[in-house]
Amino acid sequence: MIEARHLTKRFGPATAVDDVSFHVGRGEVVGFLGPNGAGKSTTMRMVTGFLPPTGGEALVAGYDVAEETLAARAAIGYLPENNPLYEDLRVGEYLEFRAALKGVPRRRRAARVAAVVEMAEVGDVRGRLIGACSKGYRQRIGLADALLSDPPVLLLDEPTVGLDPGQVVHTRALIKSLAADHTVVLSTHILPEVEAICSRALILHRGRLLYDGPVAELRRSLAGGGAVILTLAATAAEGRACLETAPGVAAVEELPPDGGGSRFRVVAAPGADVREALFWACAGARLPILEMAAQSVSLEEAFLSLTTQEELARDAEREVAP
Amino acid sequence: MRGALAVAKKELLSYFFAPMAYIVMAAFLLMNGFLFAVILQALSQPGASSASPMGVFFGGTLFFWIFLIVTVPAITMRLGAEERKSGTLETLLTAPVSDAAVVAGKYLGALALYAACWLPTLIYVWVLTRFAEVDAGPVAGGYLGVLLVGMLFTSVGLFTSLASRNQLVAATLAFALLLSLLTVSILTFLVTDPFWKGVLDYVDLWAMLQNFSKGIVDTRAMAYLLSGTALFLALSHQALQAGRFSR
Ligand SMILES: Nc1ncnc2c1ncn2[C@@H]1O[C@H](COP(=O)(O)OP(=O)(O)OP(=O)(O)O)[C@@H](O)[C@H]1O
Ligand SMILES: [Mg+2]
Repeated sequence: MIEARHLTKRFGPATAVDDVSFHVGRGEVVGFLGPNGAGKSTTMRMVTGFLPPTGGEALVAGYDVAEETLAARAAIGYLPENNPLYEDLRVGEYLEFRAALKGVPRRRRAARVAAVVEMAEVGDVRGRLIGACSKGYRQRIGLADALLSDPPVLLLDEPTVGLDPGQVVHTRALIKSLAADHTVVLSTHILPEVEAICSRALILHRGRLLYDGPVAELRRSLAGGGAVILTLAATAAEGRACLETAPGVAAVEELPPDGGGSRFRVVAAPGADVREALFWACAGARLPILEMAAQSVSLEEAFLSLTTQEELARDAEREVAP
Repeated sequence: MRGALAVAKKELLSYFFAPMAYIVMAAFLLMNGFLFAVILQALSQPGASSASPMGVFFGGTLFFWIFLIVTVPAITMRLGAEERKSGTLETLLTAPVSDAAVVAGKYLGALALYAACWLPTLIYVWVLTRFAEVDAGPVAGGYLGVLLVGMLFTSVGLFTSLASRNQLVAATLAFALLLSLLTVSILTFLVTDPFWKGVLDYVDLWAMLQNFSKGIVDTRAMAYLLSGTALFLALSHQALQAGRFSR
């Protein structure tokens, strides 16, 4: 449904998006991740046709965004970053205006507005001036607008920013329920959100696409086998000597003791699961294990390691280059 | 052009939800009412010219023109500048409507408010008919002239507003442009060279409106006003497209 081919955007000398290509199929929910200034919003703006790309092209629902602009735009429901709205209109009027603008037939307009008001839960502010609505409500009005013409593709730039926890849960559930017959791309800084609703992640960093793959894979492939927290009935030196001999162990850190015994954090080599090896190593050395807990690597850690690896690689490149 | 009417309707809604429309209309009515009263007073003096009051009212005084070049920028200044500043341009330009429809819609919305400003002046005509015979031709011509001049002025205001992100800048630019359009009318008094006089006659807004309010519908004047309008609408379209590049 969305096809980005070598999208590039330069603002003067600065390259905001650098040769980004990806494909999003029907029914996929894709999370767009990346630190501030990575180029997420710029990429979205190019896909909606708002910003003309410096290079490359984008297709939405089979329409070239630059050539068949109106057809492509008709297929997109877009929630821009910061969600700009007309402050001086009432919520209902705004949605009716947007429905007319999006070509919803006159006789279906009232029904569509009512439907999105229900979906985005903005019923209680329908008669209020948008300028007088709170941030969370404004965000929901923007979401309602994106859903108005029931477009097959939804591009949501940080959809849950400013929502209260209840609404965050509601909005995520809404997006998930839409996933069955819509293609959704949402950008966010909240990594658990990606885990909760996205099947795939795209990670941008400094304008380049660093990762494109399943969310589950992201955590596994990037952060190795994770770490294990162990408490042994032994002295620190005994414990360390024993743990370091176990196969697949990359590093052993001593942790401050918590009650009896000595505590360690054992980091596994990438891809390895060391729990069994640790059991046999300790059993062989006759050091009783009092406690063992796997510490899975959080998505945040995976994300950080990915973006810092990229930064290190770039710095290395730069040192070699001149 | 799908979507143009929706945009026009939204612009009108915005005008009437904000105090702007009421302030502009009230000020316009007050100023013109005062002007009309002064004209009536002057014309009823013994020995005064036998000019028709509506004829003098439409473009016959400097005040009329000053009101006009202040009122029109006040109407048009938010059309584009506000969309840029608040970022709503992004939602507008990602909706499935062409840039031409957006320009047309905004233009129609502003022109409708302009027309609404003139509506109450029909009362003056009604008042006049109570006291004297009023010739329909010149009055209709006067209103036609006012509409055509308004079309040109509104297109100028729309252009400056779509080209800036600050309402005050948009209004000031529009005022300056309209003032220069008007100044060439005044230059006709100073120029004696027949060639340049001919050229300046062609763009003399003051004389044009005076002719209209005598019931003379000059096609050259119409051509000037309509082609000027078309030019500034085309410029508006360009300015809107340029808006994508700089947000
Ligand atoms: N109109 C513009 N003019 C100049 N530079 C711009 C413009 N828009 C974006 N940029 C630059 O492009 C880069 C990418 O910006 P973008 O808004 O796409 O980042 P983002 O990934 O959405 O960040 P965030 O997480 O903060 O929303 C930034 O360095 C930004 O300064
Ligand atoms: Mg962004």
